This record gives sequence, C-alpha cells and structure tokens, in this order.
Amino acid sequence: LGDVSQSEVDILLLSTAFKFLLFPAYRSTDFEVHRNWLAITHSLPISQWYNDTTSEWTLDYPPFFAYFEKLMSIPASFIDPKIVDLQNLQYDAWTVIVYQRLTVIISELVLGAALLRFIRDSVDPSRQRILSASLFLHPGFLIIDHIHFQYNGFMFGILLWSILMAREGRKLASGILFAVLLNFKHIYMYLAPAYFVYLLRSYCMSPAGAIIPTRFISLANSVFLVFLASLGPFVLMGQLPQLLSRLFPFTRGLNHAYWAPNAWALVTAADRVPFAASRWPSVVKHLDVGLAVNESGVASTSRGLVGDTVFAVIPNIKPVHTFIITIIFQMIYLIKLWRAPTYKSFVAALTLCGYASYMFGWHVHEKAVLLVLVPLTLLASENYAYYKTFVIASVAGIFSLFPLIFTPAETLLKIIYSLIWGGMVLYPLHKQLYEFPSSLPWVLLESFENAYLYGFALLQVFITIFPLMTGGNPDTEFLPLMVTSVYCAAGLIWSFIRLSTLYITQQY
Amino acid sequence: MDEASDVMPSELPIERRQRHTRDRTTSLNSLSRFKSDPSKHIRPRSTLRNRGSNASMKSIGSETDYSEIIAPIPRRHLLQTSQSLHWLRVDTSSGDEWPNRGVSPVSASSVGSVFPNNRMGNRLSFTALMEYEGTAAGPSSTVDARVLEDDQGTVGAERRFVRWMHRNNMKNWVVPLAIAASTLVKWCIGFGTYSGHDTPPMFGDYEAQRHWMELTVHLPVKEWYTYDLQYWGLDYPPLTAYVSWLCGRIGVLIESSWFTLHASRGMETGGSKLFMRATVLVLDLLIYIPALYTFVCAWQGTRSSRKRHAALLTLLFHPALLLIDFGHFQYNSVMLGLTLFAINAFAAGHDLLGAILFVLSLGFKQMALYYAPAIGSYLIGKCIYLGPIHGTRLFLRLALTTTLAFVIMFAPFLPPFSPLSTIAAPITRIFPFGRGLFEDKVANFWCFTNVLVKWKQMFASREGILIKTSTGLTALGFLPAVAALIFGGYKTQLQKDAQNDSMNVSPSMAPAAPSSPTPILPLLPYALLTCSMSFFLFSFQVHEKTILVPLLPLTLLLSGAAPTDDVFLWGALGNNVGVFSMWPLLKKDGLGLQYLAMLLLWNRLIGHNPFKLYYGYFVGLVSSVVHTAIILLHLLEFAVTPPARYPDLFPVLNVLICTPIFGLIWLWSIKRSVEVSWAINGLPGKREKEGPSSAASGISATSSSAAFGHSPMRGETGVRATSLGYASGRGRGQADARRRALVVSAGGDREH
Repeated sequence: LGDVSQSEVDILLLSTAFKFLLFPAYRSTDFEVHRNWLAITHSLPISQWYNDTTSEWTLDYPPFFAYFEKLMSIPASFIDPKIVDLQNLQYDAWTVIVYQRLTVIISELVLGAALLRFIRDSVDPSRQRILSASLFLHPGFLIIDHIHFQYNGFMFGILLWSILMAREGRKLASGILFAVLLNFKHIYMYLAPAYFVYLLRSYCMSPAGAIIPTRFISLANSVFLVFLASLGPFVLMGQLPQLLSRLFPFTRGLNHAYWAPNAWALVTAADRVPFAASRWPSVVKHLDVGLAVNESGVASTSRGLVGDTVFAVIPNIKPVHTFIITIIFQMIYLIKLWRAPTYKSFVAALTLCGYASYMFGWHVHEKAVLLVLVPLTLLASENYAYYKTFVIASVAGIFSLFPLIFTPAETLLKIIYSLIWGGMVLYPLHKQLYEFPSSLPWVLLESFENAYLYGFALLQVFITIFPLMTGGNPDTEFLPLMVTSVYCAAGLIWSFIRLSTLYITQQY
Repeated sequence: MDEASDVMPSELPIERRQRHTRDRTTSLNSLSRFKSDPSKHIRPRSTLRNRGSNASMKSIGSETDYSEIIAPIPRRHLLQTSQSLHWLRVDTSSGDEWPNRGVSPVSASSVGSVFPNNRMGNRLSFTALMEYEGTAAGPSSTVDARVLEDDQGTVGAERRFVRWMHRNNMKNWVVPLAIAASTLVKWCIGFGTYSGHDTPPMFGDYEAQRHWMELTVHLPVKEWYTYDLQYWGLDYPPLTAYVSWLCGRIGVLIESSWFTLHASRGMETGGSKLFMRATVLVLDLLIYIPALYTFVCAWQGTRSSRKRHAALLTLLFHPALLLIDFGHFQYNSVMLGLTLFAINAFAAGHDLLGAILFVLSLGFKQMALYYAPAIGSYLIGKCIYLGPIHGTRLFLRLALTTTLAFVIMFAPFLPPFSPLSTIAAPITRIFPFGRGLFEDKVANFWCFTNVLVKWKQMFASREGILIKTSTGLTALGFLPAVAALIFGGYKTQLQKDAQNDSMNVSPSMAPAAPSSPTPILPLLPYALLTCSMSFFLFSFQVHEKTILVPLLPLTLLLSGAAPTDDVFLWGALGNNVGVFSMWPLLKKDGLGLQYLAMLLLWNRLIGHNPFKLYYGYFVGLVSSVVHTAIILLHLLEFAVTPPARYPDLFPVLNVLICTPIFGLIWLWSIKRSVEVSWAINGLPGKREKEGPSSAASGISATSSSAAFGHSPMRGETGVRATSLGYASGRGRGQADARRRALVVSAGGDREH
C-alpha cells in the first residue's frame, strides 16, 4: 500500500467518525443473527455449529464465516461474557452493540485496502480515486452494513482483492481468493461462472487454446485445498448434507417479502394489476373481463409475507425455470468472455453474471443488488455509455435498498446521505465523461433516462405522503413497496439491457 | 499548483486514448500540459507524435504553428506574463514530483486528468493563482508548499475538500453540500440518548423543553412562569416560551398525546423524540446556519471563496454546540444564532437591527447576557466614533429601539394585558440567585479554587458577599474589553470635516450606514470572547454547558485564521478543552461515543493535530501538555473506579485541567484586544478620508497585516480594519478586495 495520502486518511477518519454516530441507529434482526452466531461458535463444539437450533437464527453461512465468527467471539467473551451466552437471546446491551458495530468497521478495512490498491496502479488514477472513494462510502454499504447490520464491506473487500489480482495478472491468487470468498458467503456463486471461464481460458490455456497442465493442476489443487480447509471438518464428521441443507434452503418462494426489483417483480406486478382491477366489480363488469383468479395467490404476495408466491393470473414459476433462464443469459456472456479473456471483459462478464442471477434468480434478496453495483462501479469510468448504465443501476439499486430501513429517523439519514453521495460521485464523473448524443433517437433516449432518474424524487414524495393520506390503512400498505419495487425494476432491467448490449457489441 | 499538473496524457497507453475520440482537447488543458512540461514545447515533434491520433483540433494544431494553437489563452493577461510564470509551474525541477504527489482519492479529475474535456477543472482560477502566488513567493518556491503542507497534515480535510470541489467545478455546491452534511451529522448525533433519558421522576433538560411546550400550549400566558415550579418550571425568557408555544402547537397538530397536560410528563415515545429532535434541527437550519453563512460573507468578504467555504465548514461542525444541542438537547443554537446575526448586522452597519437581534437573543436565553457588555460598549464606542451629533442621535435611537424591543417582548406580562405584578414572576425565574455559587462541577474560578477554599461553607450564611464578589470579579474581568472598545471609538472619532461633509450632503442621512466599516469592529470578536469568558470564569451559578457562549467567538476567530497562526491554535485548543470540560455531562447522558466521534471529525476537518508540537508558540506547548493530560485522564477513568472517599475524583480532575486553559484563553483574548486596539488607534496619524487611493494605500497596510501583532501598522484606518480579518462583503466591491488580496498574497500573507 505504501504511502497513503492525507485525503485518503481524511476519508477513512471522517467516515469512521460518522459511522460511530450510527451505532445507536436502527438495526435489523440480522444483528441478533450475528450475535447468535458468535454465541454458537463460541460455546458449542464445531460438530454442533450447523445442528444447533436454540435460536431461530441458525447458522446458514459457509464454514469460513463460522470460523470468522469464532475468531470474533474470543475478544467478545472478554469484553462481555453475556454476548456469547447461547441462551441470552435478543441481548442488546450497549457493549454488544458497540462491539459488533466495531467489528463491521474494522473488517471493512479490507475493502478500504483493496480500493486503495486499485488506485495505485490504475490506468487513470484520478478517476479510479473517485470510484474507489465512491465504493468505500457507498450508501449500499452504509445502509446494509452500518445500519441494517451485515458484513458486506468485508466480503466485497475480498472480492475486490480477487479482481485486483486478476488485473495485476496474478490469476492464481485471484482464483484462490474467490474460492475463499465463496466459503465466506455462498451468494457469490452468482459470479462463479465468470471466474470459471476466465481462469480456465486465460490462465489454464495458452492464447492459442492449448491447455497448460501445470497451471490447471495448480489452480485446481489450490481451490480444492481452500474447500478442504473450509468443508473438510464437516465432511469428516459426516455433516455435509446437514450443512448444505442449511446453506441452500429451497423452501422459499419466488419473491422475497419485499420484491427485489428484478424481472420477477415486474411479472408479479403484471399479475397483480388484473387482480386489482377485479377487486372493483364495477370495472370488471364494465370491461367484462373474465379472469380466472387464483384465490390463494390473492393472499400470498400482496400482503408481503415470506412464502410461496402463487400467481393469480399468470402460470406459476418454478425454481427450475428461473435456473434455466439465468443459465441461458449467462452462457451468452461467457461465450463472449471465452473469446476475449481480457481483464476488462472479465469484469464486465462478472458484473453481467451477477446481474443475470439477480434479474432471474429464485428468491433473490434486494441486498444482492450490491453484487451488481460493486463490479459495475469498476467499469463506470470506461466511457459515457458505461457511465450512464452505472448511474441508472446505482440510483435504482440504492433506492431499492431504502425499504430495508423503514424507521422515520433513519429515513432522513438514508435520503440525505445518498443525495450527498450522488452529488459528490456522479457530478464530477459526469463532467469528465459526458458525450453529446449523436442522433435524435439517442437524444430522446437520454431524455427518457433523465426523466426516469428525476422520477425517483417524485417516487420518494409519493412513498412519504401515501401512508399519511390513507392513514396507515393495512389494505393499501403494500402499495408504496410495490411501486418502489416496480419502478426500480424498470431501471435495473433497462440498465441490464444496456450493459448486455454494450458488452456483446464492444470489442475487447 | 495542481491545476498545472497534467502530465498524465503522455504516460497513457496510446490505445486507451484512441478509444476516446470524442475528447475535446481544450486549449486550456493543452496550456497546462505546456506548463507542466516545457520541454514538450521545445520539442514539438515528439509531442505531435503522441497527440496525432487525437481530436481534430489537435491535428489542425499539428499543421500550423504549434504554440498558437496550444495556448490560445490570452497571454496578454497580467497573470500569465513572464514574470508570473512561476505560477504556471514552468520550474522543471518540480516536474518529476507530479506522479508522487499526494492527491486525494476524491481529488481527482482535474488534477491529473487524462481526459481533456474537463475544461473547467483546469481553468486557472483567479483565486487559485493568488493562493499559489502566496505559496510560491515564499522561501520554498521550487517545492510545492501545499504538497508539503498536505504531507505534514497542517491543512485540514475541509480545505482539501473545498479545493477538490472547486477544481471539479462544483464551487456552487460546496455550501449546500456542507450544510447537508452537517445536518446529517446533527441528525445522527440525535440517534443517541438525551439528557435525562429514562430517569424518572425528574428526567432532564429534554423533559424540561418538552414540558415547556406542554405548559405553554395549555395554560394562559400569565401562568407560564408560575405553574408547578417544582417540576421544570419555565425559567428562560419569554422568547423561549413563545417558541415553545409554537413548537407545542405544531406538535399537538401532529399527535396531541405528546403534549397532554400532566399526562405527557416523561413522554419518551419514538414519535415524540423524533419530533423534539426535529424542532431543534429546524430551528438550527432556520436561524443558526443562515447566521453562520452571513457571518462568513460579512466578516470574511475579502478572503478567497475557498477560504470562506473552509471557514464555513469549521463553523458548521462546531463539536461542542452539536453535542449539546443535538445530543444533550437544548436550543442554544437559536440564542447563538441571533447574537451572530446581531454581530453581522453591526458589520454591515445596521446598528439598530443588530440591537434588536441582540435583544431577541437575550430574550431567548439569558446566557446571551454574557455578551452584553461587549455589545453594549461596542455600540457606545460607535456612538463616540460618529462624533457628538451623529453619535447622540444614534445613541438615542438605540436606547429607544432596545427598550421598545424589550417592552414588546414582555408585553403579555405588562399592564394592558396583565397586572404589573405579573412581570415579577419571569424576572425572578430568569435570574435565580438563590441557587448557590455553583451547582455541578464547573471549570470556572469558583469551582477550581473550591478544591482549596470551601467557599460555600465559609460563606454559608453570607451569600450576599459571594454574589457581590463574583459580580465584581466578573466586571473586572470584562473591563479591558469594554475599555478597549470605548477608547477605540474615542481615538478614531470622525473629524469635523467628515461631519460637515455629511451635513452638507444631507442632514438627515442616517449615520447607521456609513460607507466604510467602523474601525473598532475588529475588536468586537475579541471583546465578546473576553466578556463571555470572564462571565464563565467568575460569575455566579454557571453551568458547564455555558462554555458554549465563549466558544462561539473563539470559533469565529479560529475560522478566519491560517492553520499555523496562534489564533488557530488557541481556537482549536479552546474548543477541544471546552468539549472535554463537558465530558462528565456527556458521559451521564450516554453520549461518550458521540463525544469521541465529533472530536475526531472536527479536528480532522480543521486540520488540527493535538499532539503535534508547535515550536515557537507558547500555545503549542500548552496544547500538547493539555491534550496528553486529557488522554491520560480518559484512560485512567476507563481503567480505575474512583475510591469511595472521592466519588467526584474525575470531574474534579477535569475541572483542574480545564480551568487554567479557560483562564489562559481569557488572558490571551485581553492581550489580543490590546494588540488590535493598538493597531487601530495607537498611531499618531488621524484617520484620513476614504478616497480612490485607498486601495493603493491599502497595499502597505494589508501587507503589514501579515505580521500583525509583531510590527506596528501603517496606513489608514478603514483599510486596516479590513485587513484585521474584517471585511464588508458589499460596497466598494469584490474587485477592489480581490486586488488587495492579490497584493496581500504577493506580500507573503501567512494565510494559505
């Protein structure tokens, strides 16, 4: 890392001071989840980790994360033994809050270090500096990690290290780091196909297409060793099926409680509209629409419960369908990556793999949008087309995270913070990258895109006013969430199309 | 100067640049390229080879005379003549340092940007040139002084931030962003607990403020100051009551249960807390922040916009005020903001408006009384300065306006509306002499000496003596400031001819708006500091939160000082110690974390490293010692529980550390007052008439101001006043001010 400039220290210290102020802020049940994991890993033998059901928040991250929790539980037991008491559920003393929040801030330094390294040997340090700062101060991390409570900063730090290694041509290290990451949190499997193709093509094969056995074997061995270190103990104890059932619970529905703004959100919304119409008998009568409304579907989605989404009108979708669609899209990008296995092509393919999974995956969580936004940021300063894609995806993606934080005090925080972030990041980049649209269709497109972006202000006004107008009527409670989801989905899908087109058509 | 640092393009892989065919290489960028690497200019062919693939403009350039295309910026411009080329970094010795320069991760684009179309970022702004001139003309003109500063950390984050914003063409966004960021920080401090959180039956200051809303909404005005005094009876002046009434009204509209009489006592629901926090934030946004902004405009009009923006940031994140108002819960920013508005009005020459605003400030919180001697004697000094006729007229007007303002404010308690006896209740409530010399541990003279002399026991039955002594000591303490202002007014009194002039022009011309600033104006901040500190140290019944009152003028002074100035060091020290002196309170409120965060944030922002030794400054030494002591005390408190015999061990140690510092600041402010008044009026020549030559004569005056305090001043008073950190942002115009500032920089102003 070497020399760190004063302004980099500024960002670190000022943002840390600000994050301190967020310690007493709202925190979700994920806080208790992680506290419970501290307790599990500290007070139980390793054989019990994936079997324990004292709390409903069972351990469902891969073993490296469990080891990480074990590591963190050691200081915790000295600070306050109650933190690691397995029976002490819902413990929320000031000690545990400070301790857990601090671990997030400290582990996030991994992200900071990776981002600094990104600047150092960058082709264009000045822009990379903005991008690095924008990632370190990303509203997504602020909302999910420092308010909602998770360790995404730390894990995206590992991902960025891995990408950085790829940029520096140290592909073996890149592969190992990604394998490590997978064993921290398995959601990164969304990105695995791009890694697999890239490493196979550019590391294990010569440019002419001949396999280089030594490299292939060393890569395979390294990855195998990583998985051995992670899963080995559980394989020995014969707990692998139990572990996997924890990691991949296929009992959930298509949508999360709040629909992640992806393709399925639009499909579900399309399903709701005829249904909503059918609720006003006069309308139905007038239009004489005869819809076969599935009554169980009526109850399922609109109330926002976790569970199967049963469509009222449209045929039901099964996990295998989503899986096939995702794979088809990913195959397109992977073929392109196979033909052009350069670093930039890799990052774009990586982003798109994550994006396709986000768009079409089964039971996608809205937090997964970071899987798209983080690698996409690395591409943002390529040219104006990429930049605009980045802007639309970022604005829609960050806005789609807002419903995670619903308490009124934190609402003001998330809005002001995101606005400041947007102004500081997007404005200078826009100044540097802007290109005039070359013909009328492009002018129109640009106007539409800008109108869409300004629409978020109206959307926020609507969300704020609507509950006041209806007086918290439970029948219409879901509407702001649904509108948010659909509106963000429109932007994210458009951005997805843009990025796919750019990647497929561009020469690498 | 980083504007000229654009050496990147030549280091880029060519394929990369080819992709950006749309880049419009502006002339300015090319100029900076030329500047940064003059060798390129000498060897145009090699440059052309590199640039051949770029946009059309450059290919034209390759066919014609290179230098004409590469530098179409008007070279005739004064700033770009050959004498000034060191601005433009022609000095090749520094060329190699560019890639290694410490540039911020957010400072990007314009600095080393590859892409030439960020034209604005590369523009040689006038202020930037002046700032660079200031550093380049110094002893180390070959080394980039600013880079050195950055490395040493003497420049604060706020200056780096402002510089970056200006370079990225976001100059107009600095103020809104700064206000948004400070609002965000204030709101986040509010996530924490407040005074008296969850401590029935009495709770704390939060409950007091909430209770006043409840009380004013439901009771007739007459009963406000008499209702159930045992439970947080109203003891602030009427304006607070009116504001409470307004907030209460709004609150009742939203949710009436928050302010039900009696039933809402101790109300701590989430919604009610949110509403209360929001009222503080809104009042702060409406009063304090505009006051800060106008302060920066009115008092620092001659400084470059970068410095003004940095000063605004310093003031916006003032840690002590933020912690008390948004953490502990009070409305001090309203009182301070009104006083600040009054000072700004004085600076703009609107004395009557200023007087009314100060009365409002007094009417919001009686603590503004700490400023009263300074404000009063400033106005008297101004009357004397204007001469017998205009002075008397102004005096009468002031007396009338002030009285009227007070009467209107207390009107609901006065005869037409209620019997005369009603007025007794608010007055006795506002000045509680019955509550003893001091309550908690306060870092003032009485509590400090109480370690040795038990005042309360000694004078147990003779409280009157103590009251008189404290009043006498306080008066003695602020006497120097009062004397300096009045004497200053006397010495700089306007001459007869000036009076005749104005008589001839128009006999009714208001003296309240003179064309040049009052010469004693630069004394005002120091006088405010001396007075309020004297009250804090010596007066009766002082709270630890009252340190906010002296901290305001101190921070105002700090915001206008260069980071190596001793004003800056005193200001930073005073603020840190001031926040530390409230540590026992904040700890009790559960705001320890916010305390840490705000100190870290603000010190980093202003670029103050408490543990750095500043040789050659007395204050630097004191600062290091005190900060070390503070850290040690915190560590001790963390590790050791106080023995049962001395439960108050740590608060007392806190007082023992803080009081000497406050005493030193008080003495220092007196010393500075003397120096400033010496500069204003200690010289033989009487004030000359303002004329067109003022700018020219200001050159010598302002340039000597750099060494102000060490060398006597020459020149004429108006300009001197300007150079002493005061400048009116109106009237004779920015151009003139800019010109003077340019000369100042050329003369080696110590400010950066």
